[in-house]
Amino acid sequence: MVLEMKNIRKQFDGLEVLKDISFHVDSGEVVSIIGPSGSGKSTLLRCATFLETIDGGEILYMGEHAAHTDASGKAVYVHPKQLHRFRSYCGLVFQQFNLFPHYNVLKNLTDAPIHVQHRSREEAEETAMELLRKMGIADKANAYPYQLSGGQQQRVAIARALAMRPEILYFDEPTSALDPELTGEVLKVIRQLAEEKMTMVVVTHEMPFARAVSNRVIFMDGGVIVEQGHPEAVFGDPEQERTRQFLSNYQR
Amino acid sequence: MSFSTMFSTMGVGMLRTCSIFFLTLLFSLPLGMIVMFLRRSRIKVVQGITKVFIAIMRGTPLMLQLLVWYFGPYYLFGASIRGYRFTAIIIGFSVNYAAYFAEIYRGGIESIPVGQHEAAEVLGYSKSQTFLRIVLPQVVKRIMPSVTNEVITLVKDTSLAFTLAYNEVFSLAKQISASQTSFMPFVIAGVFYFIANYAVAFAMERVEKAFNYYR
Ligand SMILES: Nc1ncnc2c1ncn2[C@@H]1O[C@H](COP(=O)(O)OP(=O)(O)O)[C@@H](O)[C@H]1O
Ligand SMILES: [Mg+2]
Repeated sequence: MVLEMKNIRKQFDGLEVLKDISFHVDSGEVVSIIGPSGSGKSTLLRCATFLETIDGGEILYMGEHAAHTDASGKAVYVHPKQLHRFRSYCGLVFQQFNLFPHYNVLKNLTDAPIHVQHRSREEAEETAMELLRKMGIADKANAYPYQLSGGQQQRVAIARALAMRPEILYFDEPTSALDPELTGEVLKVIRQLAEEKMTMVVVTHEMPFARAVSNRVIFMDGGVIVEQGHPEAVFGDPEQERTRQFLSNYQR
Repeated sequence: MSFSTMFSTMGVGMLRTCSIFFLTLLFSLPLGMIVMFLRRSRIKVVQGITKVFIAIMRGTPLMLQLLVWYFGPYYLFGASIRGYRFTAIIIGFSVNYAAYFAEIYRGGIESIPVGQHEAAEVLGYSKSQTFLRIVLPQVVKRIMPSVTNEVITLVKDTSLAFTLAYNEVFSLAKQISASQTSFMPFVIAGVFYFIANYAVAFAMERVEKAFNYYR
């Protein structure tokens, strides 16, 4: 198991956003998270990637605790030094790309490997070029983010995350900021990664994509997991009325 | 007094003006960074005191501040202020400009999208790496126009050193004009300030252009 989250609770000044969420992700698995806006999907990814701290519950990577809950019911994280190691297990692709505008594409991909992971420049650049070829944007290595289309920027962002060699890659609505004609090129590279057995968790509103690519689908609403299972089960014959309702908005 | 004597006498003043200008930048630019960090401190007391400090620096005339820096040690501690004039001027200017720069830096830092911090955090950058490698370079680009404004204001503000009877260009122009009953010193001073400002604007434009490689 790459990731295990148990009984996760999170609130923002009184507002309970995650209410006792438990799920896990196996190695090589692709898990899609769907659900209406405000249901806590982003917050869940942000807790998993340590951008937010949980109030209660447990987070385990590779079977090892990054956070657990003590006797008083409060979440306790491992020492910051160790947390750094847990961070290195996960990559995150944002809706808004968040590329570094002052670095060209190549430097966006090599800066963290060189300065955070202390890998050699040659090796980092070689890895970066390989990733850019895979993303179909090797010719953009020297371009700056502002010179790229949204779809290209998002592919750079995916490559930047992969350059750190994460164990698991999270996507938070990776195509929501893109024009419809550009979503295809981004979904294609995610699909390609799925075929290569990259472990991934994808928050998305692209239902056909989620159905085709995932091994498992999680439907969230109101801070809880309403239903999860094989995509054919969740999309084809949902158990919960709430799931059915939500999915009907996407079908015609 | 011939024009060339007049000009060479005032040349000394020009050098003094330039030294106020460059020393003020040398001290206030980094000092502003420290003030900005204190202003953004998570410790409420530190933040509060810094806020008050900035408010005073920006809310009272620089001329008055120069007088306080110069005569303060004498009135408060009875200290001798002989030979302290130039130091007082540099302290007064540097501390005052540091307050302005601090606010410019702060505005720049707070304008960087939170997504930049988050992307860096997930990639494992430390706090200081995030600041130095990701945030600061973008801040420098963004604040360049405001810094340019401030630097140009400083060129003209140097004339306030006359308050402490320091013989920079402006004070000399006044003195020579009075003693020679001539208008020429003012023309020379005016041309000097204009050229100095032009040079500053030119230099700053070059720096701004150097950051044009990204948007
Ligand atoms: N930093 C925050 N401070 C306060 N409330 C927040 C914060 N982040 C998210 N929320 C709230 O938590 C709820 C879930 O948000 P989010 O996880 O972004 O949902 P989703 O990604 O499913 O749309 C929303 O009601 C949102 O307003
Ligand atoms: Mg969201």
